[in-house]
Amino acid sequence: MKNSTKFIIVELEGRKIRIPQGLTVIEALWDTGYDVKRGIGCLSGLCGACTVAFIEKGSTKVKFGLGCQKVAEEGLNVIMMPCFPSRAARYAMEAMAHPLEELGAHYPELYTCNDCGACNVCPEWINVAGVMKFAKDGDYEAAASRVTDCIMCGLCASRCPRSIAPQYVALYIQRALARERPFPPNLAKRLAQVESLAYETEWSRIAAMGDDELKALCAAMEGL
Amino acid sequence: MYPESLRDSIAIVDATREKRKGEALPKLPGTETEGLLRRYHPDYREAGFRNLRIGANRGDRTTHEIADLLEAFSDLDHSKINLDPEFDTDVLVLGGGGAGVTAALFAESMGARVILATKLRLGNSNTIMALGGLQASVHGDDSPVRHFVDTLAAGKFTGKRELVKTMVEDGPAIVRWLLEIGVDFDRDEEGNLATRKAGGITAPRIISIGDYTGLNIMKVLKDEIRKGEGIEVMEFAPAVELTTNGFGECNGAVLFDLGRKRHFVVRARAVILATGGSGRLHLQGFPSSNNFGATGDAIVLAYRAGARLEGIDSFQYHPTGVMFPDHMVGVLVTEAARSLGGQLVNAQGERFINELETRDACSAAIIRECEEGNGVRTPSGKVGVWLDTPLIEETHGTGFLKRRFPSMYRHFMRVKIDISKRPLLTYPTLHYQNGGILIDETGETTVRNLFAAGEAAGGIHGRNRAMGNSLLDIFVFGRRAGLEAAKRKYNVPGNVTLGHVYRYYDRLKSLRISSVATSPTLFPEFIVSKL
Repeated sequence: MKNSTKFIIVELEGRKIRIPQGLTVIEALWDTGYDVKRGIGCLSGLCGACTVAFIEKGSTKVKFGLGCQKVAEEGLNVIMMPCFPSRAARYAMEAMAHPLEELGAHYPELYTCNDCGACNVCPEWINVAGVMKFAKDGDYEAAASRVTDCIMCGLCASRCPRSIAPQYVALYIQRALARERPFPPNLAKRLAQVESLAYETEWSRIAAMGDDELKALCAAMEGL
Repeated sequence: MYPESLRDSIAIVDATREKRKGEALPKLPGTETEGLLRRYHPDYREAGFRNLRIGANRGDRTTHEIADLLEAFSDLDHSKINLDPEFDTDVLVLGGGGAGVTAALFAESMGARVILATKLRLGNSNTIMALGGLQASVHGDDSPVRHFVDTLAAGKFTGKRELVKTMVEDGPAIVRWLLEIGVDFDRDEEGNLATRKAGGITAPRIISIGDYTGLNIMKVLKDEIRKGEGIEVMEFAPAVELTTNGFGECNGAVLFDLGRKRHFVVRARAVILATGGSGRLHLQGFPSSNNFGATGDAIVLAYRAGARLEGIDSFQYHPTGVMFPDHMVGVLVTEAARSLGGQLVNAQGERFINELETRDACSAAIIRECEEGNGVRTPSGKVGVWLDTPLIEETHGTGFLKRRFPSMYRHFMRVKIDISKRPLLTYPTLHYQNGGILIDETGETTVRNLFAAGEAAGGIHGRNRAMGNSLLDIFVFGRRAGLEAAKRKYNVPGNVTLGHVYRYYDRLKSLRISSVATSPTLFPEFIVSKL
């Protein structure tokens, strides 16, 4: 251990302990002997497995974040809260003619939202309350365009006094919208070409080529 | 925020930006690329490699880290395991990423009973970390043939032609399937799938969803798997051994219940290995962009069962892994940052490679700069080169980075680094296992009834993978493996045994191979780098 290492005192899962400075919450847990597996995923802030709740020194407010991204500072009091329960509706979207119209049937609690804003704790900085308002008002495009970055960590759901799971509501809308969009013309054209065996002559030409001929063909294509 | 020592170096990057802006750096001729790779690419660092002494690939070259695992005993006392199957199913899928879930969905669609077991949570995988996009030849100027040629060329003509052909031909159809289940790919004004170019690709072929492509596909797949009753999902239950019958055919697996800390057996008519790659083995000491679970379990299990591996001496080191701050080391900066004009700059403020060279060449060039003393050192002693992101902002207009790379922008804002004003310190990060378990066009390995899909499978990408091809191959071969595995549901699975493991152990002992490693690894030994 380097002599220059600075130490800080933090409270990890209710245990006051001295740790080296600069560790993330996950690293601090590992360092102090917690064999954390349930709340670990990508370690890059993308999978949403390692949700944490914390109070910073001198603050009066409980905050939320991701354990692999939150760097521990002096006086931090933090617990992990992975896998917070949220209700996900079960549905077969392909069986619905207009899934958007059935949103209310699958997530009726959405319409009890009174826009309290408690869900605005998103580590991806999504304005969750805003998205829910769009969803409630039927502006689905506006809702969907704001949740591309949702990592499904469920922190918003953990704060909702009405037990709405905004991450699942948003996902439903994203999927439903995608299904209602017209089929992309460029893909339709390509599929038709593949189906009518438009590339067969080219394939058989290539199949007969040795590696050197193929390399020459590649070089020619790169030039185009 | 950057410390003082790095801010001095950033000043050099800022001062040279104007000069570098118009500078055109020619692409290296083939011979020079070859030389660069031989000298600096980790795949050519002979000290990092040895030849396997046992198994189907005896004599083949691989890294010490992987050879250690393949030539190892398990820490499992096989004689103490109750091999009476606790579960019985048609198809057992191991792995809960894109390939595994796709395989499970297609196997179920054929009427097979499916169990999907995964080490971590369902969906915790490298799939969600695929930022850039997926290759599919849908553009008018493009064709599956062109895609085929590009893929082979990127892989230095070592990919298996029939597998590459299968992948590119299935590409457009698999995109149709993704659209059908509700994946919302970015569109252009006419409603076409929006396509982009990338390094080593001769036509616009990358389709994406913002810079969170894999994540948004995985969200939909997870939602889809929830709908039916036909797939039982077992989380926190990694496979520690495959089982075979008297004919050496695969017929199940021994899983480890992480919560109860006990082993149990699932018997199946077919097994699909989709547990991903091996980035978390940190080969040759490199940082990794991979998720926590990527410890190469698939190749270890399959190898003991007798499966042939392919190309296990070839790995992809993504040129731009984060090197500062410490807790983000190894995290990927997407290739799109270079496609859009982000320059690689050394400590002297000079460029040293055309940024649109293939990934392996860029990585080798960065390693060269750092070894020759042109790298930039962080307070904790790590070395890297700058990726000039402010230049992208300057070229494309204010607010571009925040709009185009919202996730990356946010991740750095959390640590008070504004990537539109400050460059990023980067160094190659272990990103992808180019090889894996050899499969055929249906996804089956050389062991009967054992399938592989996704990064675990090998033979497709040759010695270097082009951007966007892995996000394609997981769906193409996941689907194919799922469909073919489901057809085996009328098989008689036979007795569940570990005969192949005992035979493997006998070989190890007779060759006097003793190893301190135990495998599979399951979880990386985490070394907190700051201590």
